[in-house]
Amino acid sequence: MGLPLSYSLRNVGARRGRTLMTAGVVALVVVACSLFLGLISSLKRTLVSTGDARNIVVMRKGSDNDGSSQLTLEAYQAIRFFDGIARDAQDQPLASPELVVQPFFRTREGGRENVLVRGVEPVALAVHDNVRIVEGRMLTPSSGEAIVGRGVLGRYAGASLGDDLEFGRARWHVVGIFDADGSSFESEVWVDVRELANDAKRPFPYSGVRIRVARPEQLEPLIRRIDDDPRFALEAERETEYYAKQSESANTLYVLVVGIAVLAGIGAGFGAANTMYAAVQARTAEIGTLRALGFSRGAILTSFQVEALAVAAIGFVLGALCSLALSACLRRLLGGIGFGAATFTVNVITLRVSAADLLFALLLALVIGTAGGFGPAWRAARLRPIEALRKA
Amino acid sequence: MDATPGAPLIQIRDVSRRYVRGVDEVHALERVSLDIPAGHFVGFMGPSGSGKSTLLNLVSGIDRPSEGDVIVAGQRLNDLSEDELARWRARHVGLIFQFFNLIPVLSARDNVALPLLLTKLDKAERVRRAETALRVVGLEDRLDHYPRTLSGGEQQRVAIARAIVTDPDLIVADEPTGDLDARNAEAILDLLRQLRQHFGKTVVMVTHDPRALRFVDDAYHLDKGVLLEGEEAARAQEAIRVSAGAAGARGPR
Repeated sequence: MGLPLSYSLRNVGARRGRTLMTAGVVALVVVACSLFLGLISSLKRTLVSTGDARNIVVMRKGSDNDGSSQLTLEAYQAIRFFDGIARDAQDQPLASPELVVQPFFRTREGGRENVLVRGVEPVALAVHDNVRIVEGRMLTPSSGEAIVGRGVLGRYAGASLGDDLEFGRARWHVVGIFDADGSSFESEVWVDVRELANDAKRPFPYSGVRIRVARPEQLEPLIRRIDDDPRFALEAERETEYYAKQSESANTLYVLVVGIAVLAGIGAGFGAANTMYAAVQARTAEIGTLRALGFSRGAILTSFQVEALAVAAIGFVLGALCSLALSACLRRLLGGIGFGAATFTVNVITLRVSAADLLFALLLALVIGTAGGFGPAWRAARLRPIEALRKA
Repeated sequence: MDATPGAPLIQIRDVSRRYVRGVDEVHALERVSLDIPAGHFVGFMGPSGSGKSTLLNLVSGIDRPSEGDVIVAGQRLNDLSEDELARWRARHVGLIFQFFNLIPVLSARDNVALPLLLTKLDKAERVRRAETALRVVGLEDRLDHYPRTLSGGEQQRVAIARAIVTDPDLIVADEPTGDLDARNAEAILDLLRQLRQHFGKTVVMVTHDPRALRFVDDAYHLDKGVLLEGEEAARAQEAIRVSAGAAGARGPR
């Protein structure tokens, strides 16, 4: 049997000052790492949750997002009557023709941000049934009206109920506020699709069409039919896949953040090593005594490694608590955080540090503890009892 | 390990120990040979640097000789690897140090129970034996005290309890009275003698303390790494007796 856990833990408690300083460094790494990861995972969650498994996105072949796609009126008129499309109570197909533009909006603070403006018809609310008007009403086509998502509300000049938004060549009167279960639709402004096409002077009236399928088994046949139609050079994909691809831009950020976290972790590892080397130095006689009493090198190594891990674990707990408190404060103070998406428009996301983000931070803290503690623990284990007792 | 009273428990055969210190080679022990019978209380005495602690470290398996053999109860210690030697010490040797070497973050009970972690005893039995050992040294009312709250004499008693808790055949003590006042020093020497008398332990002690002559069965004298014999040993012993008398005349420290 090795040394008891209480021996390692009590030694951690015996050097409170050093322990807290080292744990503080680890905590800083944990805070930075978990907040950045939380930001990225919140962005991914926002984008991925925007897609509906029952919907299809139709765009021009080769386009990778709404903004770079265009679709003719003829194409829309043809595909909206394909088999397999769900219909509403009036037997109208649930196919929502949409046009996307990305004008600059002036923020309340005076800055400029690209906002995604989506031209829609009333059918859009049936196809995107997670979008609900929570204040005011739905816009009336051809009347210069707009509705804005919760994330946009109050963020930009004129983006409030009853105000006028200025973008393009016109002014748009805000008549409604909508939410969309935290999805990226909440970062959009919706206006009438024909008015938007005229205002933007687009040669083609639509960017794409969103379609609700009648039954899940009709989804793949419908996608194939649209893909294979030789008249319009269109391609279709599941809406969930479309938004999953949009969220891939966050992966680059993820790698960047992990890289920075690892670099910071190396610095913290040196801090942990310094603390543990000091502990070995101060307890040379103790190590010699334990070895003389018959404890093996493995027992000494394990005991010092446990100490280093305990310091890292304290750092993680402090860091995780700070991180959760900070993210709650940021949510309360800022409401949402603007984040550039793949289409260069701003997604307003709600920052949440998830369990997965904290798990990564915990792993990083434990790696810091293991790497920082191993050298000193190895040195302690290699001490011969006679040398350790003599040095004492 | 069998410890038949009178039979040699420890055999030291032509043992030398040399250290390299900087560019110099230090001859700490030179061809020492000695038998120590089981159940004896033996003292190694001599001036600082005479090699007595080195000899104690070799006997307890903490150090290895440069030449010669140390055989304890038939086991040639040179044959054991570092970890085997650690296991052997845990099983057969109880150690007492000059500065007690207690673990500061553990209570008296936990300090004493520490060597029992290397046995297969369950926790309840470990606690029971630790408390028994502390009772033997008269510290049954100090079980939960931490070393910093104990006097020097009490700390050394805890160390003695730790040394005997595994019921080893051999107890080695390196200057056990070196950091104690006269009254506590005598009490500790008496306790070590009782371990021999009542429990049949073989006790090997290194000391500068002339009072030790009154407690040990045999005293061996070393000087400059050499074991003194015959008239040299008798002269050294007499010198110590004289200094012990003088110390006694001065009264306790």
